[in-house]
Amino acid sequence: MDKPIHHPYLQCSGGMQTVTHLISVYYSVQRLVCFTFFAAMFFFVFVGCTSVSQPPESVPLNYKKRVNTRSDGVVRVSTSVLSADESLAVYGVPLAKKGIQPVWVEVENRDKIAYWLLSPGMDPNFFPASEAADAFTSPDKANVRGELEQRFAELAFRNPIPAGATVAGFVLTNLDEGAKLVQVDLIASGEFRSFAILADIPGFRADYEAREVFTRDIYAAEDFIDYTDDNAFRTALESLPCCVTNKSGTNDGDPLNLVIVGGLDDAFPALIRRGWRPTEQTWSGSVIKMTTSALSGERYPYAPISPLYLYERPQDLALQKARDNVHQRNHMRLWLSPMRYHGEPVWVGQISRDIGTRLTIHSPYLTTHKIDPDVDEARTALTEDMAYSQGLAKIGMVKGVGAAPRSAPRQNLTTDPYFTDGARSVLIFDSRPKSLTDIEFLPWETREKGFIERTIRQ
Amino acid sequence: MTKGEYPLAESVTRWPFQSGSVLLTIIACVLALAGCATWQAPTEIDYSEIRARAITATVQKVTLSAAVLSTRDSQRIFGANINETGVQPVWIEVKNQTEQTLWLLQAGTDPDYFSPLEVAWSFHTAFAGGTNARIDEYFDARGFKNPIAPGATQTGIIFTNPHHKTRLLNVDLLGQGKLIPFTLFLPVPDDVPETGVLNVLQRIAITETVEYQEEDRFRAALEQMPCCATDAEQTSIGDPLNVIMVGDFADIASAFVRRGYRQAALEFDYTQHVFGREPDIVARKSGQGGVPANWMRMWVAPLRYRGQSVFVVQVGRPVGGRFTDNESTELILHPNVDEVRNLLIQDLLYSGGLGKLGFVTGVGAASPTQPRNSLEKALYYTDGLRAVMFMVTRPVALSDVQILEWDPVLKDLEKAVLGAE
Repeated sequence: MDKPIHHPYLQCSGGMQTVTHLISVYYSVQRLVCFTFFAAMFFFVFVGCTSVSQPPESVPLNYKKRVNTRSDGVVRVSTSVLSADESLAVYGVPLAKKGIQPVWVEVENRDKIAYWLLSPGMDPNFFPASEAADAFTSPDKANVRGELEQRFAELAFRNPIPAGATVAGFVLTNLDEGAKLVQVDLIASGEFRSFAILADIPGFRADYEAREVFTRDIYAAEDFIDYTDDNAFRTALESLPCCVTNKSGTNDGDPLNLVIVGGLDDAFPALIRRGWRPTEQTWSGSVIKMTTSALSGERYPYAPISPLYLYERPQDLALQKARDNVHQRNHMRLWLSPMRYHGEPVWVGQISRDIGTRLTIHSPYLTTHKIDPDVDEARTALTEDMAYSQGLAKIGMVKGVGAAPRSAPRQNLTTDPYFTDGARSVLIFDSRPKSLTDIEFLPWETREKGFIERTIRQ
Repeated sequence: MTKGEYPLAESVTRWPFQSGSVLLTIIACVLALAGCATWQAPTEIDYSEIRARAITATVQKVTLSAAVLSTRDSQRIFGANINETGVQPVWIEVKNQTEQTLWLLQAGTDPDYFSPLEVAWSFHTAFAGGTNARIDEYFDARGFKNPIAPGATQTGIIFTNPHHKTRLLNVDLLGQGKLIPFTLFLPVPDDVPETGVLNVLQRIAITETVEYQEEDRFRAALEQMPCCATDAEQTSIGDPLNVIMVGDFADIASAFVRRGYRQAALEFDYTQHVFGREPDIVARKSGQGGVPANWMRMWVAPLRYRGQSVFVVQVGRPVGGRFTDNESTELILHPNVDEVRNLLIQDLLYSGGLGKLGFVTGVGAASPTQPRNSLEKALYYTDGLRAVMFMVTRPVALSDVQILEWDPVLKDLEKAVLGAE
């Protein structure tokens, strides 16, 4: 990091490449600052007449100071997610206003084969660099478009990552607020490596930033119970409470119909690859945004999720998968449990399908989501979605929710009715790629004399 | 098809509240009409007509039949026009003659499918609790139900986003350590019968092909394919042919479907000609709200590789991409055609249907400073490569994909990244 910096790339003349070969991070930072300065100058001169703003001088490019790095001994991956100010400073245009968030990725490949970074793994709806550039130009301004596009292309991460090389650049993702789960999938011939990194984004708040589930010890080491016996684990899962509660624990809410086994390296990459993203914490700003969105029918990807309680605390993590608009999303709340399964974290949660927004007097925000009363459908939908994630290893079903027939539905805390067969899905993830034929059904409720057979008999 | 009929846009908004004033109007209407909520459950449902036109296939002792419901069908079966709400109902029957229980993975048929009660909810009216409950119960009973027991036949409807002209139906049936995949091509009854998919299958049948067995010779033949499309008169050069796909058409089509592509051709797609004809099929991936993100135009090529069909493909995306309003903007090819080609590869890697990947020359390089002309005054630049994707019957794990060491092309790509050329 303390090498002299008299490198030809650092002379700024044409040194706008973000791809480096065995050049230190320090060089990259210097070059980027240099590039940014020139880019800003360039923009001021040539495209000042468009809506491009000049980057604020006061914004330090701090994103390289909070780089998160992971390595498996062969490949090292470093990432940093840019704040709105940083992305304006680097790109010269307000990407965040268009819902675009650059993620800086550096891959050091110490293998003997070339790797390819797969952007759809980081965000299935990511923005190609040229498309993001298009967001700031109009088709009739070909000159402006050309310059912007070139700049975006130079900043973009470029494949492949040759053997022995280090390559860095940006992937443009949909905006996350607070923190971001950055999934780096790397493919080579007959090889696949996957790294998940939880990155902070300054200037935002989010559910799990507040909960710090990945970084803070929620439980003392002696509180954990590690299950290695399948039957004992199954019994423990069946003994969990049926449902979430309100804050005081006096009323039952949505059923706890989901158990996820896995952590940052296996379960969450699978969720991200299929478009699941963290939600914004419920605070007044996002509530205003959501209620506005509810009236206009527009897609607001960060509709907040209200707090529900388990283990005497609100959810540790809330994720959602938006479809066409705010009314159509599936969402889940997860709590880290004091259980382990073969050493892996066990999350207990609740999943439901939002099919619309309705008014309610049971929420201080006066609006809430109408959930599909067939809550088992949402549970099944997630299981199927995860089957395509290349990360799902095992599926099991356990009792514990308690059946509520359609003729006598139960109600959640906002008086939405739901019915259920009373089972909870157990999804066990693996960091090694699993195709559809590799998925194993656990011989629990899903097999002999269990849930499936009962369903069939019915 | 004209621009105004762009088919992806209509699936956008199923929810009627577009603005505060519309909301108020709707509330007023609902209050006025609530007293006479008139949904009635159909008294007798006859599936014989649907069954008669269903397409059927048998794979590994499982027989699948499926048909897309017309507006008339959905009115007859549901007592309501589901198709009007941006939902395409598909009738499915699975006859399981294996010895194990199977699950139909709806997420494979449509990653954004609708649940029966979600569809039902859009027909609810205010202050009509009894009727709403009956709608729920009725719709739910029509939905397809898992699992499918050994020896059993399961019939039901799945609620998908609309495909036009022909529905490329991907059905994945999952058992213990086993996947039974189906790809069916279903006519969409409300649409004018088409060219598209049926044309591809007929085209494959009638195309005279040269068979290649050796990889090197096949590769050389791919490099000799035309660089680009032309206009109808073959007087002007069109968009570059930057992708080759090799494999069974069903495997290729279903991989696209699993990644959210839908068949949808626009008028300007048909200006591009290869082998003296319009594209045999055009598909698109839409962004949120149905905005076109890219296009994929495909032609059956007059060669085969080890018995498998070969397709030449043009992949591109419009200037503006998902940030444009497709109603008002004319679609023009974005000059950076390599980017969209590379991203198509990445997308298809996650489909579980891409087995091998290679690159060949044949397009001819054009630099950003000296871009090449295409039709409609479009310009583009390219490294001159075409991606060659060998598609296989799903599923493939990401760790099993082979990248072919077709030098010097791959090395050139690496050099370009290192800036060392």
